[in-house]
This record gives sequence, structure tokens and C-alpha cells, in this order.
Amino acid sequence: MLDNLNKKSLKYVGKATRRIDAVEKITGQALYAGDLEFAGMLHGKILRSPHARAKIKKIDVSKARCLEGVHAVLTGHDLDYRVGLYLVDKYILARDTVRHFGEAVAAVAAETPAIARKAIELIEVEYEVQTPFLDPKNVFDKKAPLVHPELGSYDYVQAVFTPIPGTNIANHTKLRKGDVEKGFKDSDLIIEREYTNPNVQHVPMETHIAIGKWDIGDRITIHTSAQSPFTVRNLFAHAFKIPHSNIRVFIPYVGGGFGGKAGIHLEPLCCCLSKAAGGRPVKIQATREEEFSLLPCRSGLVYQIKTGVKKNGKIVAQKMTMFWDAGAYADYAVNVTRASGFSASGPYEIENAWVDAYTVYTNKPFGTAYRGFGHVEFSWGMERHMNYIAQKLNIDPLKFRLINALKPGSKTMTGEEVVENTGNVSKCMQAVAESINYGRLTAEEKAREKKTGRKIGKSVVALQKAPAMPPFTGTVMILKLNEDGSVTASHSLTDYGMGTYTSLAQIIAEVLRWPIERIRIPIETDTDRDPYDWQTVASKGLLLSGNAAILAARDLLDKCYDVAAQALRAQKCDLDHDAEAVFVRHHAAHRVTYQQMAVGYAYPNGNAICGPIVGVGRYIAQGLTNLNKENGQGNPALDWTYGAHGLTVEVDEKTGEYKIIKVASAYDVGCVINEASVRGQAIGGMIQGLGTAMCEGYLYNGKGQLLNPSFTDNKIPTSLDIPEEIDCIAIETPQIDGPFGARGVGEHSMIAVCGALGNAIEEAVGANLTHMPIRQEDVWKALQKKGRKASEKVISAVVTEEKTRRGRKPGKKAIEAPVVKAKRGRKPGTKKAEKPAEIKVEKPKRG
Amino acid sequence: MLQEFSYLAPTTLKDLYALLKKNAGTAVILAGGTDLLVEMHNNWISPKLLVDIKKIPQLNDMSFDRKNGLSIGATTVCIDLINNSDVKKYYPLLADAAGRIGSHQLRNRATIGGNLCTASPCADMGCSLLALGAEVELASADGIRVIPLKDYFTGPKKTQIKKHEVLQKIIVPFESANAKFGMRKLKRIKGHDIALISVAMARTEKFLRVGVGSCAPTPVVTAPLPANAKPEKVKEAVMKVVSPIDDVRASRDYRLFMTGEFVDSIYAEIFNGGSK
Amino acid sequence: MKISLKVNGKKYTREVETNKNLLHFIREDLGLTGTKEGCGAGECGACTIIMNGKTVNSCLILAVEANGCEIETIEGEAKNGKLSKLQKAFHENHAVQCGFCTPGMILSARALLEKNAKPTVEQIKEAIEGNFCRCTGYQQIIEAVQDASGQLKKKEGLKRA
Ligand SMILES: Cc1cc2nc3c(=O)[nH]c(=O)nc-3n(C[C@H](O)[C@H](O)[C@H](O)COP(=O)(O)OP(=O)(O)OC[C@H]3O[C@@H](n4cnc5c(N)ncnc54)[C@H](O)[C@@H]3O)c2cc1C
Ligand code: FES
Ligand code: FES
Repeated sequence: MLDNLNKKSLKYVGKATRRIDAVEKITGQALYAGDLEFAGMLHGKILRSPHARAKIKKIDVSKARCLEGVHAVLTGHDLDYRVGLYLVDKYILARDTVRHFGEAVAAVAAETPAIARKAIELIEVEYEVQTPFLDPKNVFDKKAPLVHPELGSYDYVQAVFTPIPGTNIANHTKLRKGDVEKGFKDSDLIIEREYTNPNVQHVPMETHIAIGKWDIGDRITIHTSAQSPFTVRNLFAHAFKIPHSNIRVFIPYVGGGFGGKAGIHLEPLCCCLSKAAGGRPVKIQATREEEFSLLPCRSGLVYQIKTGVKKNGKIVAQKMTMFWDAGAYADYAVNVTRASGFSASGPYEIENAWVDAYTVYTNKPFGTAYRGFGHVEFSWGMERHMNYIAQKLNIDPLKFRLINALKPGSKTMTGEEVVENTGNVSKCMQAVAESINYGRLTAEEKAREKKTGRKIGKSVVALQKAPAMPPFTGTVMILKLNEDGSVTASHSLTDYGMGTYTSLAQIIAEVLRWPIERIRIPIETDTDRDPYDWQTVASKGLLLSGNAAILAARDLLDKCYDVAAQALRAQKCDLDHDAEAVFVRHHAAHRVTYQQMAVGYAYPNGNAICGPIVGVGRYIAQGLTNLNKENGQGNPALDWTYGAHGLTVEVDEKTGEYKIIKVASAYDVGCVINEASVRGQAIGGMIQGLGTAMCEGYLYNGKGQLLNPSFTDNKIPTSLDIPEEIDCIAIETPQIDGPFGARGVGEHSMIAVCGALGNAIEEAVGANLTHMPIRQEDVWKALQKKGRKASEKVISAVVTEEKTRRGRKPGKKAIEAPVVKAKRGRKPGTKKAEKPAEIKVEKPKRG
Repeated sequence: MLQEFSYLAPTTLKDLYALLKKNAGTAVILAGGTDLLVEMHNNWISPKLLVDIKKIPQLNDMSFDRKNGLSIGATTVCIDLINNSDVKKYYPLLADAAGRIGSHQLRNRATIGGNLCTASPCADMGCSLLALGAEVELASADGIRVIPLKDYFTGPKKTQIKKHEVLQKIIVPFESANAKFGMRKLKRIKGHDIALISVAMARTEKFLRVGVGSCAPTPVVTAPLPANAKPEKVKEAVMKVVSPIDDVRASRDYRLFMTGEFVDSIYAEIFNGGSK
Repeated sequence: MKISLKVNGKKYTREVETNKNLLHFIREDLGLTGTKEGCGAGECGACTIIMNGKTVNSCLILAVEANGCEIETIEGEAKNGKLSKLQKAFHENHAVQCGFCTPGMILSARALLEKNAKPTVEQIKEAIEGNFCRCTGYQQIIEAVQDASGQLKKKEGLKRA
């Protein structure tokens, strides 16, 4: 909605308006789910499985039941309900089989957390431990144990997903564009490599927490720390076959979500416990340890990329195979697979593309949505791969990216045409390159290298993402005019930290031309009182709800004009308005104030007209389609937000220790609605991306037991871990159907940061990394390997001329020898040596 | 909510000794609680009786003289050690080491005694106090005994403390005062983290000692080496006492490598640069 | 056990179970829910309070240990209904996103500023090291503390290209 784009005349849009929810947060007054108490409230606790895969032979809850103060004890056999977002595969409590370490097997509700905890300890479970299925790459192994032998009988969204019964494949997404085989034939060079990512936890500072109440008569009330009230309601209704109107979901302030609270998690269990306890409300607050294993994480990924390029740097064909390690339940992972499948190349044009993306069930904690929705994971591989190819071609990696970047006239992998207003990824790359002085070391940096004895490396990476959402995603905003001429908004997008509500208030104030202080957007949402929104995910909130806000504000004004027209006996076309009133344009003194009309306009004699005023704005994504299941072609993208990071790192060549000196990020956001919020999202996401890049990730033993389910061994970045310098740049190529031209940027900042770090480290010291996170030790290990010249000959088979790139430090840039197989020198006992990069560099057979 | 337990906070040493004697085996000492309450939170232990020793003034004392050196009361918290003027002047290594423990919130609460009694291989005070040749005073109704810290640790989370004893103070000999020193701690992030390995070196006119953490079942220390031992000799001595393992935090190989690196760099710092 | 303590200048006497930590006591028994729980294990700092002048993680202290102590929580930061300088700086500088870390963060920052009126950026980072924030990436928090100490020269902004 791009009309009214005289930016100079904008009063609120584009400014750093202070957050509308800050005061209650900085004073400690904001109430989060954990702060809520209800009369008669019980506390729930969960017994978790210590095994990754096991048969539950026996559960004895009799002692727990007898404990005074215990009001309900449940096991899987009490609850014959399955829940699932796209594929209905999960029991509320494990029945007969446990499928991952940390899975809930029994639950109790008691008068105090202490009693509940004691009751849990009194439950006896007998397990028959079975061999777990852990490596998604073994998905085609016919002998592999099946995580869900009943897969064929599950309900799923058939228009979009393809589970394969009798295997561990929960979904197979295919994309076919052009003719890859021909593309490979036409290539001068074919480069193939594999990249891996572990499971990662979202780590919202507030863990999952829900309070459920299931009244006799099946009225259900849920207070929960969740992102999407209507999704909780909808999935609940489906799982229990209860009318939607019987279920009320209330979301208070939420202490971070990042995708981990997008679906439905603790809510059904709280409600079942409540029902079993005769309708008393039951609160379950996940501990941090439960957050790591009982609740979902991000799927792991094994990403194999085979690329055919021309000597001039143009990519001609690319075959991408993704093994998504979904864990025990499909949850969002099937859709992560789909969304990353159609975006898997990053913001580059691939004429001939082939993607096979598999969602693989494994006996691990299950994956869900996580900021970036698959793009953080595959961008690690893709952006490392882009550098690798550039190395082989002897082209500067930035130049190589610019050659292949999507631009107006390009076709995306799903066949969608890129136009001028789609956004400008090249500009993003150029902006960050300039910011970090890409391609050279400044005098200051040279002096620093000299002083520290460490090597400085730089990189530029690019990213893209479109919202992963159904083509029919819609929302609605209602603006209610109050007696004093203020408005209160009602809608169901949630703001769990991003600042979207402040942006919406700015948009509404801008359209109404009223002071922003008169716009109230309550933070809490309530499915009984607020209108529908699909979910708060996918960076679609600002675009869809922003448009709905514009339409609602216009509708509100229109209704005000209706009243004024009657009251002033004027035609609407002769009316205008200011912050206080609607008036006759050529007789400004003839006016009706908003206060006068808010609840119905009354004439002096008491006659009244019109009634209370509300403005309604509905908006639904335009022109999107389901993707063809056979070739992935179609139009899935509401908008594409492009971006780039430039990263400067300093590395100790001996120990592998590194320090991030600078990160510059640029995003084509279309239009900056709130400057400070864009910067907040840009930096917050980038640091979260660095967490993924530097130190986070699940570690398992061979039995599939999680070894680091706490902050002790799953570190996240602290204030001391951020780069010395951070630069944020906004580019504003307007999105024609975006509010004031804006598009989303909530997730993008997290994408490709890992690749930027890996590439900069490689640039600095030649450490060749294919697995993230990149711990200091991993750099060291990679440097140890670098010493061994295992496969020089493989390289020389394809790369014929070798020039020093970019004229900097001749010799330093010599192509690093990729290791085909570490033949010697690895000490026995190195526990989990970094995967030898399985590099196949092939000389194409000329037909 | 933690498991149920009783809580007592004696105010004199005598009461404490009596309490510990009477409840030997069930009583668990509570100092700063930064290890104990975490273990209880994780359900690793469920003590029946907690004996808070922070109300006993003698345990919170610090003193220094040229004969006995530095005496650190067991419940001295890190921040008080860091700010103590004698520590700053004579034993800056200790302030350095205590400054590396956790975050501000932790250092305001964590005690030096607790750090040694948890006896985790990665306890940061372990390697530094070892390098300085510290001793610990263990007391009970049966009397007081003083043992060298190097003999005190007997295994991961295991020490010589008997069930009815309390670690009363830590004594750092005067001969270690003014030692030149250096310390390194390998972490996974720049923010607070426990040591993947830690190395502390102290060198006086007479001797040089290196303490190492997270590199063996307990914090370990080399025998006293001559004050001007050659770097190879120092490294050799260190390698003799360490025996790291692979775990989720680091591999054995990397631990060995970084221990060597740290020894080299601290050595260079001490011999070329003085005590920092 | 009966304990008496002062919280935000107000005296409280309460009967409390020995196995309740100070965090839960403050939240549940005193109804001051501004102090948050992020881990219960001393790692995240969401439960930071000031006890006898020092910041501590209230999840690692038993309520009974606080007998006789003076405690300050986020609820004591605004005086007479007016935001403190630090709170205003958090507001101005967008140092808040989800807000869950904010109470603890503000108390750590306050403890720093009480000792050191003009901290450097490095000192600010060091002071809030024990307070995890998953949302902001810390930068705007650091700027807020600089601002509160009168040291933020120009408002850091978003560049437009
Ligand atoms: C988030 C976090 C980060 C940490 N980071 C570090 C770090 O970087 N480096 C590090 O070294 N440690 C670290 N620790 C561990 C811990 O803080 C220290 O070991 C601390 O010094 C323990 O002291 P305390 O007073 O809290 O001990 P407590 O928890 O009170 O006691 C620890 C143990 O010692 C026993 N005990 C205590 N005092 C005595 C005594 N006088 N006599 C006999 N027994 C006694 C107790 O019974 C208990 O078993 C960290 C802990 C946490 C939670
Ligand atoms: S809740 Fe206390 S430090 Fe996390
Ligand atoms: S603002 Fe959300 S954790 Fe800091």
C-alpha cells in the first residue's frame, strides 16, 4: 500500500518512536504467563524419558496418586489424542513408545510445585531400551529402525506435504527447474561438498509456560506464553474435537519466542491435567533443562550441494540435497523443509536447479520453527559453498556473488520473476562491503595485525527470505474509537519483543493523522475478544497487519466522515479532518469532534445517530499459490527481503582463537517504519546468528542422550561476545503491496551470519570449515588439517591457472588444499573429529 | 522449589563443630550456595540438613603478616578477595583468578572455601592457590589439621575433608608473596564460562610452580621448579602432571595443546614482562 | 522459619519454608513479580537483585539466608512514580525488546553506575556479562547505559543507503 509516499510529510513512519510497551517492562510491571495466578491453581510437573528410543513396558503411578496434595496423574494411556501442525503424529504423553530423550511420559498436578516434584519422583517406569535412529543421512537404509512405523495412518496436509510411509521420511519436497543434467554438461567446473549443522535451541529468556483450565462442560481457557493464539486454539480444537468457540486462548506479555513458541506445546497437557483435576487451573512452567529437551529445538541439517559453473563465474546448474534432522516429531520441520527447499540457493539465480529436501524423523528432540525457518541452516552451507566455488574459479567471492545475484528479470527457483520492486540484494552486498572496507586491510588493520600477530579476514555474504506461510494467510485489525477520541486496537498478531506493535501504532497514527499517544495497542491478545490472525511467524506481521492497520484506520475515518456528513449536513467530499475533528473544508469552524461522535453523535435535543464507531481492516496475501508437488514451481512469496552481512574477524593462527572485529549488515526493508526497531531486529538477530555460528548446538552421545541440556554447556553469546563494531544499514526499495512500502526483517538478520564468520576465518588463516558451530577448537583442528597436503592433485585437475586474488598478500590466498580423507596424523581418541570435508571436485566429462 | 531440608545457621565455631559432629553424614555445609543450590536444583543431591556457615565471623576473616603469609577465611567471597589490599599487593594472582570466576553476581556470592570444597577439576581458585603453594586448615570437634592443598584434592569432587569437618581457612605462605605470575583460562565464549583448561604460574626468587585446572581429575600442580627453570623443563613438568580427557567441552588433544601454549605464553610474560 | 527483611525500603516479616529460594519468595510471597526466572541455576541473571548493596542471583540464595538483609528489586527503581534516569535511558534507546531480561539488566547496570559514574564500553559489557539477553544483541542496552551516564555522544542510528 504505497500511496501517500511523500516521505517528507510523514510524521511517524520512519522515526525512532519509543516502544509503546517499554514502560511496563522497565519497571517490572509487565505480567508474563509465569506471573499469573488463579484461584485454586495447581502446579504441573512432567516426567521425562532418559532414553532416546524405548518401549514403555510398565508405568506405576500408584504411589504418586496417593501422595497428599496430588490432584491428577496422567500417563500416555489416559490420553488418546494426537496433536500436529501439518502432520498429526504426536501424543500428548508418550504411549508405549518414547521417541526422544526428554520426551514427556507422565505428568502430575499438585497443590505446590514441591509436591508435584515429589510425586514425579514416585512414578516408576520400566523401559525396554531400543537402538535409536540418529543419523538422518541413513534415511535410505532399509534396515534402519522406524521412528514412526504408523506414519501411513497419520493425517497430514496433503496439498503441501509428502510423507513416505514405511520410511523415516516425514516429507519429501522436490524442486525441479530447467535441466540440471544438461546444465552440468555445460559447466566448466563442478564442485560438490557437504555442510552440516546441529540442533540448536531458541533460548527465549522466558521458558515455555502455560496455564490451562478445562471446565466441566468442556469450556477451555488457556493462558500461555505463545506466539500464535489462534493456532493454539485451532490445533487444540482439532486434537480434542471440541468446537473452536469453546476454547479461549489468552496471551499475556511473552518473554521471547524466536519460533519456539509458534505452535502448540504445553497447552494440551495443562488442560488435560486440569480436566483430570476437576477443572482446577494447572500451570506448567518448563525448566531451562526441559526447554532443551522436552520442548522443541531447531532441526539439524546435512546439506549436499553440487554446483556447475562457467569459468566466467556464472552458475549454470545446482543440485541440492537436504537431510533435515527433524527429530521425533514433524511439527514445523516439514514446512521448514518446504520453505528452505524453494529458497535453498540463497539470493542467486540458478538456471537449472534440482532440490530434494527430506524431513527425516530421528530419535532426537524435535525441531520446530526457529527465526530464519531453515535459512540460517542452509545459508551456512550455501554461503560457504559460494566462497569455495569462487576460490576454485579464482574469482573474488563478492564478485562471484554479484555475478549470480538475483536481479530484475531473474527467475527464482520456483519460477517467480524478480522485478525492480522485489528488492536489491546487490546493493545490500555493496553497502556492507564498503562498510568493512572489503578486499583490503586498512592501515589501522595492518597495524593491528602487526601488533597482535593475528590475521584479519573479511567476508561478504548475502541472504534472502520470504515468509513461509499458506497462500491464504490473512489478518484483521479493528480500531475502536474511545469516548475521548483515542482508539484501541484489537487484533491477534503478538509482539513478543520485536516491536511490531509500535510500528503498527506509528502506521495507524500516520494514516489517521492523530498523535500517536492516542493510539493504544494492548499487548495481550485473546481469541474470545480479538479477531483472527493466522500466526505471528515468518516476518509477515508488519506487512499483513500493517496493511490491515492502514485499511482499518481508513475505515475508521470513513465512518467518522459519515457521521460528520450527517451532523454537518455536508457531502463527504467536502469534508476534511485533523487530529481533533472532521470539518467542512471551506468552513473549518463547522466541525464535529471525535469525542462527539465516538459512541454515537447526539444532537442538542438528544436525538442521536450512528452509534459507536469502529474501523475494520482485513488483509490477505495476494496472488500466492501452493507449489506444484512434483517440481516446486509456483508463487510462494509474499515478499522477499534481501540482505547482506560483511564481517571482519581476527584469528590466531596457532590456537584458533578468534575475535569478531566488525559486522555490518544491510537489509532491503522497503521502508523503515521504526528506525530503532529495525536496528534492534538487525543487531539482535545478527548476535543470535553469531551464537549459532560460534558456540551453540546440541551434543549427543551414541545413545541419543543429550549431553548439554543447560547453559553450563550450551553457551549463548553474552555482552562480551558481541563484535567490537556493529553497523546497520537500511535500503529502501519499496514493496508495492507493503505498508508504506515496507517488508519484514524480523528473521533475516540471523541468516547467513554463520557463513560470514566461516568465510572470514578461512580468508584470514585458511581454516576450511564445513560444520557449525565454529568453536575455537574447530578452527584449530581445521588448521591442523591444513598442514597436510592430502589432495593437492585433485584440485590441480580442475583449477588450471592460479592467480593471486585481489592483489593482496600474494601467497596467502593460495587455494587451500581440501582434504579428501585425512590419511594420517589424526590421533586416536579424538572424540568427534570434525567431519572430513567430503569434497568431490570433478572434471565434467565433456559430451 | 527445592527438596525439603532443615536449615541451621550456627554463629560460633564451637556450635558448628558440634553440629557437624552430631549430624555427620547428613549435614551439608552451605557457603555461597552457588554450587550447592545448583546441584540441588538439578536434583543431583538432596541433603537433609543444610548448615549455613556465613554467620560465623571467624570464617569471614582475612589477614596477612610476614610470618604466616595470607590467611583467607573460608567464607570470603571472591569480590572481597579481589578488593583486599594485601591480596592486591602481595598475591595479585589470587585476585586475577577470583576475577575469572563467573559473573559479578556470582563473584559477589561465591566463596573461596566453597570453590575448593566443590573440588571440581575446573575450580578457578584451585590452580592459582596450588601454584602459590597454599595450605588448607580443616577443623572439627576433634581438632584442627593443616594440609597442603596439593594433597587435599583426591578426585573429581573428592577431597580429604571428613564428614564432620569444615574447611576453615586457606593459608598462602609468605614465601609466595610478590611472586611474579600469569594466568590463562580457556573458555568457549568471551563471557562467563567454566574453564576448559586453566593454567596459573607463580615465580618467586626461589621457585617456580605451575597449577593447572580441568586437565586432570583434580586441579594439579607441578613440583616446585627452580626459579629460572628453562621453558622446556617447565613444560615437561606440566605435561607430567596433566591427563586430560575428551568431553563435551573440549578434546583431550586440544586441552594438551592449549596447556602447552598457555605455559609458553605465561612463561614469556613472566620472564620478559614481569608480573603483568 | 520466620524471617524479616527489607525490600525496596519496606519491612516484611514472613514465615517461609527453608527450601524456597529468594527468587520465589520475592515473587510468590511478596508478590513482586518483576524479578524473573530464566534458569534457576545462576547462569542467566534474569533473577538479579541487589542484596546489601551487591548484585546477586536470587535463584541461588535461600529465602532464609536473606533474613535481616536489605534488598532492592526492579520495583524499587522508579521513585514516586517517576522513572529513574537509567530507566529513561532504556526507554529512549530501545534497550528493551521482550523485556524479560530487563529488570535484572537494569539492576546490574545500576550497580555499575553506583560504583563507576562514567564506565567505558568495555566496563559496561563486563558489568552485564552475567545478564543474558536473547533479543537485543546487547548493543542498544550498552548505549542506554552510556546515555544514562551522560556519555552517548551521538545517538547511534540506522544508516540509509
Ligand atoms: C553460573 C555459574 C558460573 C560459575 N563459574 C565458575 C567459574 O568460572 N570458575 C569457578 O571456579 N567456579 C565457577 N562456578 C562454581 C562456583 O561458583 C564456585 O565453585 C564457588 O566458589 C563455590 O562457592 P560457594 O560458596 O558458592 O559454595 P557452596 O555452593 O556453598 O558450596 C560448595 C560445596 O562446598 C561445600 N563447602 C562450602 N564451604 C565449605 C567449607 N568451608 N567447608 C567444607 N565444605 C564446604 C558445600 O557443602 C558444597 O558441597 C560457577 C557457578 C555457577 C552457578
Ligand atoms: S534465574 Fe537466576 S540466574 Fe537464571
Ligand atoms: S529483551 Fe528479551 S531477553 Fe533481553
